[in-house]
Amino acid sequence: MRNSEIAISIKGLTKFYKNFRALDDVTFQVKRGDFFAFLGPNGAGKTTTINVLTGLSNYQSGDVRVFGHDTTSEYLYARRLIGLCAQESNFDPFLIIYQLLVYQAEYFGLPPWQAKRRANELLDRFGLADKRNCKHRALSSGMKKRLLLCRALVHDPEILILDEPTAGCDLELKFLIWDYLTQLNKEGKTIFLTTHYMEEAEKLCKTIGIIHRGKIVKIGEKKEIMQDKSLEDVFMEITGLED
Amino acid sequence: MGRRTKKRPLTSHVPRPTSYVPRPTTMLQLIANPIGVLALSKREIHRFFSVSMQTIFPPLVSSALFMFIFGVAMGRQITLGDGSVSYFQFIVPGLMTMHLISSSYENTGSSLFIGRWHNHIQEILLSPLSYFEMVLGLLAGGVARGIIVCIGVYAISFLSAPSYIVHPFVLLYFMAMISVIFSCAGMMGALWAEDFGMLSMWNIYIIVPMVLLGGVFHPTSILPESLFIISHFNPMYYLVSGVRFSVTGMADTSIASCAAIAFAMALAFFGATVYLFKIGYKLRT
Repeated sequence: MRNSEIAISIKGLTKFYKNFRALDDVTFQVKRGDFFAFLGPNGAGKTTTINVLTGLSNYQSGDVRVFGHDTTSEYLYARRLIGLCAQESNFDPFLIIYQLLVYQAEYFGLPPWQAKRRANELLDRFGLADKRNCKHRALSSGMKKRLLLCRALVHDPEILILDEPTAGCDLELKFLIWDYLTQLNKEGKTIFLTTHYMEEAEKLCKTIGIIHRGKIVKIGEKKEIMQDKSLEDVFMEITGLED
Repeated sequence: MGRRTKKRPLTSHVPRPTSYVPRPTTMLQLIANPIGVLALSKREIHRFFSVSMQTIFPPLVSSALFMFIFGVAMGRQITLGDGSVSYFQFIVPGLMTMHLISSSYENTGSSLFIGRWHNHIQEILLSPLSYFEMVLGLLAGGVARGIIVCIGVYAISFLSAPSYIVHPFVLLYFMAMISVIFSCAGMMGALWAEDFGMLSMWNIYIIVPMVLLGGVFHPTSILPESLFIISHFNPMYYLVSGVRFSVTGMADTSIASCAAIAFAMALAFFGATVYLFKIGYKLRT
């Protein structure tokens, strides 16, 4: 890793969807070990930013780096450092969940015996061990969320990117996921979280960035951004949603 | 599990192997992540085996019917050239080629299209596999299915009328080339298609007619001169002829040109598919 202190560095990122400017000169950094909340209303550019970071989207201009590795020219290095927990469950319908995790680990270069051990560890840790021979269709929505997390963690990435991980979860699962994320962050993982739940960002995160209409409108440490207000008030104020 | 249980670390206890760190690829070292490529290949092969009633057996059943109707029932009435090769023996390599082509195309086409449809293609796109390695891994399923079906068709013919393959290594070469060409074509079709109808369109309107006109059931030498000349512009003619030469030792065109055309097509289709992955055609937004 070239710059071990900066996990994510985005400079002047601009992305168009045909004539629509989805990201407009987006610039920010996320430090190693940070718990970063990336907030914004629907269509603000959160998922697009994640897609650019993970290589799922092309972009027109800018410089996007993960631990110093350019995500385009050095994508082989950048991708192994990232685990993405997508918003929707998107699993191979032909595989049982154990195979799904083993294959995923192997794509990242883990030899089969290590991939199997890692898959078992995670299934056990996330309470899915008794479902290991089921296909994902047989899982409840909460279990699918946990499986998404398992898949994102299977290669032990340095950065965990979560796109609205608790959307549609009940309270119990939400608390469970919060616990997992807090623990992961304490263990040194850099976490990049997008969410629509302000209390989630307020409770979990150390740093907050707010994007609105493709532009970063506020970024800084949680205390600095919130001052004496609630995060929801700050968010409404910045994005103009209070009108 | 649960909030009151003692927390175990979520990070891995498994030491990272040296192969975990991808090495830079050079022209001489195109596969930097062999474990990843092998995993993707295994997954692709696993996929078609898990639905073998839809992927392996239907072409074998239809081949058996073709052999019975055209080869056994009608074939007795047909004499080809000096009669050294029966009509049954003549159509077997054609059927092998036809099913090799359709199985390879359908395998990669459906796998990649379903991956796009369900969005689990992201599992591959997010991984540290180069675009070359992604194509190679996906290709493995198409090549394996095509070759299994092709050998299956030959095995059925062997049960009906035993005849040995005259040039097994030449057959291996043509099976490899043809399955690579049409596995790549399947991937290109899957990237282009927006629905299942579009995916099968290439197969129905382009590939199958070209294969049939390439001489699966008829020697092109019996065609009128104008059609005979036109058939030489059909690349499938060279692929069918190559397999026919391998199996029966009989060819009505130069085997070297068949082999060269097959190689050039395989290289072109493979290169084009890697390029489409590299630019993210309908894979990246």
